[in-house]
Amino acid sequence: MKECGVQSSMFKKMLAFALTFCIAPFAFAPDAFAMLTAKANHDHISVDFFYNGSAVSVKGESEPGVDLVVKITAPEGRQKMRKKGKVAGFLWMNVGDIVFDHTPNLYFLHSTRSVDDILTPAEQDAHLIGYRSLEKHIAVEPAFSPEEKERWFDEFVKFRESSNLYALSNGKIETTLTDKGRQKYALYLDWPYQASPGGYTVTVFAVKNGKVVETAYSHVKVEQTGVVKALAGMAVAHGGLYGLVSVLVALGAGFGVGMVFGKGGGAH
Amino acid sequence: MHLYLPVALTSINILIPVGLGLAVGLLSGLFGVGGGFLLTPLLIMFGIPSTVAAATDSNQIVAASTSGTYAHWKLGNVDFKMGIYLLIGGFVGGLGGVQLIKVLRAMGNADFVIKITYVLMLGIVGGYMFIESLQSLRKKKTEAAPNKDSAMAKFLESLPLQTRFEKSGVTHSAIVPVVLGAFVGVLAAIMGVGGGFLMVPVMVYMLRMPMHVVVGTSLFQILFTCIEVTFLQAYTNHTVDFTLAVLLLVGSTIGAQAGAVVGRKLKGEQLKVMLAGIVLLVTVKIVFDLTITPASFLAQAGGH
Repeated sequence: MKECGVQSSMFKKMLAFALTFCIAPFAFAPDAFAMLTAKANHDHISVDFFYNGSAVSVKGESEPGVDLVVKITAPEGRQKMRKKGKVAGFLWMNVGDIVFDHTPNLYFLHSTRSVDDILTPAEQDAHLIGYRSLEKHIAVEPAFSPEEKERWFDEFVKFRESSNLYALSNGKIETTLTDKGRQKYALYLDWPYQASPGGYTVTVFAVKNGKVVETAYSHVKVEQTGVVKALAGMAVAHGGLYGLVSVLVALGAGFGVGMVFGKGGGAH
Repeated sequence: MHLYLPVALTSINILIPVGLGLAVGLLSGLFGVGGGFLLTPLLIMFGIPSTVAAATDSNQIVAASTSGTYAHWKLGNVDFKMGIYLLIGGFVGGLGGVQLIKVLRAMGNADFVIKITYVLMLGIVGGYMFIESLQSLRKKKTEAAPNKDSAMAKFLESLPLQTRFEKSGVTHSAIVPVVLGAFVGVLAAIMGVGGGFLMVPVMVYMLRMPMHVVVGTSLFQILFTCIEVTFLQAYTNHTVDFTLAVLLLVGSTIGAQAGAVVGRKLKGEQLKVMLAGIVLLVTVKIVFDLTITPASFLAQAGGH
């Protein structure tokens, strides 16, 4: 297992413990994990033709007795959505755009216990831990009253959760004590196929007495490979050729099947 | 087994698109419709982004309508001359419809107009066709209605450029199919659909073509419309998912052949009543979607 970068926070005395973790995508069985973590540099998920999501584990060690929070996020951006509303008093349809700015497309938050039990609200806001802190951080356009902003943000979270791109949990992180008196932790996650290619940041917080005492980072990279990458690239870079090939293949398939059936079926 | 779709950026069980393709292809071969009004919402339901669903659907229809046109051509059911006149009108109408949508979007009420047009068109066409074909089925062998010397018929006969459409057994001014094609083209562009479900009744009731020739000719016409749409979508919006299209067309090309074979065993009136039933079901579904409080008040931008 490779140690990833560790940054100690202001609590210097806590430097004594090393918080290490690794991100390792593995295919299916936990057995395969040990093998794949040996390739610690391969912290990326390859999206090939048969990709249907993956599995990610976050593992490491910490000082005993601390609580842990694992946050995985996509880079912040502008998420443009359509708003549904009533027209003519009874018809539900799109009634305009709504933009969620400074908002990640993916947000996973897993903790040993409920974050409200282990972190003060101010500390949650400082580290963007939890949906309420995220809500305060993002900007919504057009501007709404605080109540309306909360309502639309809740809708946004519900929408993203239904696509498996937002998730909260507590109690999923497994912890054990080592012979050397340290705490080992492990979090196993299903990585959703809905997560688009790109880089994702993993932040692990060690928490004690309502505050974050140490932070460590790592990254997960989701990357298209092989035919998938070639097709996606061609669709964007050579739209005309891509369109032509799509039409020709469709025409060929239509004629091909027609001729096969025409011969066998005795159409006349 | 799952396959990853590079443009839709999602993964799908291959049985879903193949099965959907088969079902929609069958309808295509039977009734001469592309089936976009059924397939696009189903693809969205299975997690395909709406823009990709619509564009990929048109790619799939190219294959299904080629297969269907081929089958119907072998059965002698394609009026190429009529198809070309309708196509010319449809092309012009489509251009006009796209401009109209731009104006509506600028005015800010495009979605409302699109939805209402869609519901009204589906409802009126489905309702009329359903009632008319049921009545015809009941009458069975009653003498065909005597030639109505209505003002409309006289007006149509007085138009210049009268020409005989041998395959359909009708005579019309060349202007008539061009104008009707343009009318369907405008509506199809506004609604973002191929317009098969509008073109079929237009050919049956206004051009007085026999139902079996209508099916084949409609498919021929749809084929060209969808070639154009697929290319433009791929070129300008990059929203055609080739992998998804191939999975769909595996089912739909075979379904279209089966549809043509089954259709041969059914009477024109039976085909009409079945198509009308499907159109009415879709209308009811859309009305439900419009009136029932949605599960989510947000939708992905770029969709309907």
